[in-house]
Amino acid sequence: MAIVDQYLPILGMLVLGALFASASFVASSVLAPHRKPTESKLAPYECGIVPELESPPRFPVRFYLVAMIFVIFDIEIVFLYPFAVEFKALGGFGVVEIGLFSVVVFATLLFLVAEGALSWGPVKRLTKAMPSRTSDSTIARITPRPTDRAA
Amino acid sequence: MLATARTVPDVLVFIASAAIILGGAVGVVASKNPVHSALNLIATLIGIALAFVEQEANFLAAVQIIVYAGAIVILFLFVIMFLGVDRNESIRLEPLAGQRPLAVGAVAVVTGGLIALMAAGGWYSGATTVIAPTDPSNDVGALGKVIFTTYLFAFEATALLLIIAVVGAVLLARRPPASLDAAQRADDRDVAVGEELT
Amino acid sequence: MNTVAMPSVHYLVILPEIILTVAAVGLLIASSLVPGRLRSSVGTGVTVIASACVVVDCVFQWVDISRHGPSTTMAHVIIEDGFSVVAISVLAVSLGLSALVADGWLCRERIEGVELHVLVLASAAGAIMMAQANDLVVIFLGLEIMSIGLYVLAAFDRRSARSGEAAMKYFLLGGFSSAIFVYGIALVYGATGTTQLGQLAGFLSANVLRSQGLLLAGTALLLVGFAFKVAAVPFHVWSPDVYEGSPTPIVGFMAAIVKVGAFAAVLRVLASGLFTQQDGWRPMVFALAALSMLVGAGMATVQRNVKRMLAYSSISHAGFVLLALWAASPRGTAAALYYLATYALLVVGSFAVVTVVSADGHEDLTSYRGLARRRPLLACSFTVLLVAQAGVPFTTGFLAKLGVIESAVEHLGWPGVALGVIAMVATAVSGYFYLRVVVLTYAAPLDASPAAATASTLATSRPRARLAALGSGILVEDTRDGELVDHAEVYGAAPANGETAVPLATAVAIAVCVVPTVVLGVWAGPLVELTTRATMLFHP
Repeated sequence: MAIVDQYLPILGMLVLGALFASASFVASSVLAPHRKPTESKLAPYECGIVPELESPPRFPVRFYLVAMIFVIFDIEIVFLYPFAVEFKALGGFGVVEIGLFSVVVFATLLFLVAEGALSWGPVKRLTKAMPSRTSDSTIARITPRPTDRAA
Repeated sequence: MLATARTVPDVLVFIASAAIILGGAVGVVASKNPVHSALNLIATLIGIALAFVEQEANFLAAVQIIVYAGAIVILFLFVIMFLGVDRNESIRLEPLAGQRPLAVGAVAVVTGGLIALMAAGGWYSGATTVIAPTDPSNDVGALGKVIFTTYLFAFEATALLLIIAVVGAVLLARRPPASLDAAQRADDRDVAVGEELT
Repeated sequence: MNTVAMPSVHYLVILPEIILTVAAVGLLIASSLVPGRLRSSVGTGVTVIASACVVVDCVFQWVDISRHGPSTTMAHVIIEDGFSVVAISVLAVSLGLSALVADGWLCRERIEGVELHVLVLASAAGAIMMAQANDLVVIFLGLEIMSIGLYVLAAFDRRSARSGEAAMKYFLLGGFSSAIFVYGIALVYGATGTTQLGQLAGFLSANVLRSQGLLLAGTALLLVGFAFKVAAVPFHVWSPDVYEGSPTPIVGFMAAIVKVGAFAAVLRVLASGLFTQQDGWRPMVFALAALSMLVGAGMATVQRNVKRMLAYSSISHAGFVLLALWAASPRGTAAALYYLATYALLVVGSFAVVTVVSADGHEDLTSYRGLARRRPLLACSFTVLLVAQAGVPFTTGFLAKLGVIESAVEHLGWPGVALGVIAMVATAVSGYFYLRVVVLTYAAPLDASPAAATASTLATSRPRARLAALGSGILVEDTRDGELVDHAEVYGAAPANGETAVPLATAVAIAVCVVPTVVLGVWAGPLVELTTRATMLFHP
């Protein structure tokens, strides 16, 4: 009974939140101008050529990895918290155990960093348009080099 | 269930949490929009947190909300948003004719059978909680003790599970090697600079 | 504040997990710190050394048990007994051999990096946890560690869409079965108030339950979860698709590790924790065993993909181990342990051969035609492995099948005899499809117009293949007309090409699988003795 009492403020918050959300809807429906938007008003940018096809979704996988790191360390914190509460009672053995756990978890962080999960920003890479044609081969075509002549 | 006599508020909280859990679960399956499914999942998880509160496991209730509703479902939403919310995927297709009615029937039989067995079965009423006897003001401490004594091995094994999760995520998120020819790769570079992980 | 009494830790017992975890974390850290990709051969070396260390540790554990008897450690959640030691050494050997097989595959596919080895090590550590767990919570953790690693490994071949499909199916059905398993744990806990197997057995022998319902429901759900993992009929539908799609060296590992780990755990749960509830779980195991043996053997006869055939054959093998589980006697446990030990070697070896022969991606049975002319040694090894799986005398497979059937028939009365008869029928049927491949291996290669011949073979086998796909519950599009043309074209060209050499590591692995199969089949004493003695040292 007493436990449930502790959570009454949260219930109050929920009720307040629901009231605010519904009040906002009511207010906007009362106060907003009632005009139907035209078709061009709904178009992207309200002007220009209407795209016929949607571009295929392209998203960096790196977002997932950051989210992954977050979840992993979230779980580690969940274990650290009870340990911290009982720190004195658990003594040295507890420190060793939590240390082992943390080492293993931080090894995964190291792996993620090495995989580039945290290196953001544009990666500038030069790729050869035609790997078979290098400057070497192009020049050799005009003035044959001694090795070519020997062959 | 609490070992002590159940009071009226306890029963009310239990009924409310059960309703939220079941409603959310049905919503996850029934919603057509994946975002609505994810939101229903949050409702289910909050209902479970409520059930934890009813059993005086306040820390677990907080963890339930912070980790599951806070982190994991947000990750789900993240993925759903990126993959495109409005992409139409027909789930009406049935590879095997009549599998849906069959599945509904099977689920009804199994669930009904389980409930009947549970109703008939004698619940062992001594151990109501893993960390008995609980002190409601220090459930975190009791949990800490139990993690580092009885479940020490399980706790350390969890670290191994986390390793697999990370390595698996990196492996699956990495671009498949040599599947793209050079031209396509150059094309990719123009569209999304810096997206490649390797 | 008063201090908490910390559990005593017997490090010798948990050393296998420690070794594998240290190896996995070490590889992970090394691959992060070394610039560029770490070579995969480094990973293979570390994995093989780690598994050898585990085997050595098992020897020490065996000596320890012989002196002091079985014991528990880490707050009684971990057990040290003869059964667990033998199971762990089988798991370690499978791990080492699979790493050797995978090495050749990684070289061939030009995949660098040690991620595969990290996952394989972690999966094996999970299986070892299952083999020595004395608590349902630890069994569940072991099951998850093992399975999640395998889900990722099934998708390891990122260039193949089938690999991704296999991983997806495995992940969804596996996750579902894990949920059922947890539900089972919850119900058993609700009925008895403990998850520890020792306490469970103590509670059930000291108390008479007013109503069995709850415990029975929990046991049934646990059994369903296990049956999913070991692919026992009717929870087997994922297995052929996953075996077909996953990278071949991984499939051998998967088959061996999952079967040994899950069966070790289920044997301990049923024969130790729920021993008093035999009347409840034995009928369920009876049904699973009978169905698995018959459906597995029956469906294997109509397969034309070698990996699917081996998948169904492994379903049938699961039925045989369940037969020993049904016996619920020390003799049955010994027979199951013997079966698992021999089966692990056979399956790793068989898939190693498939890895080499089907290097070009053609897993059709017809591609084994004339293998004996092209590669006599490989064909000979494959013959031994298949013949042993069929249960032909003078191989370990014969003794394994004999052991489980004996343990079942020991129970007088119709169920034991019925299971024995079903096992005989399944053995006879399985003899047909194993020997069919063997005969195909020694048949003359098709010289005249191989394309036409292959096409006609495929055409005749198509209706049956479709039937097989229907029976498996998941429709597979392996009967498209387009594929027929592809195969025909390829077989027109394939036999002319020179074959690639068998990688040394893979050859060693195959030899390690084949030699004990024959030697221990003829000189049967030691392994039978070992498993019987291991069961005598079973923790009550």
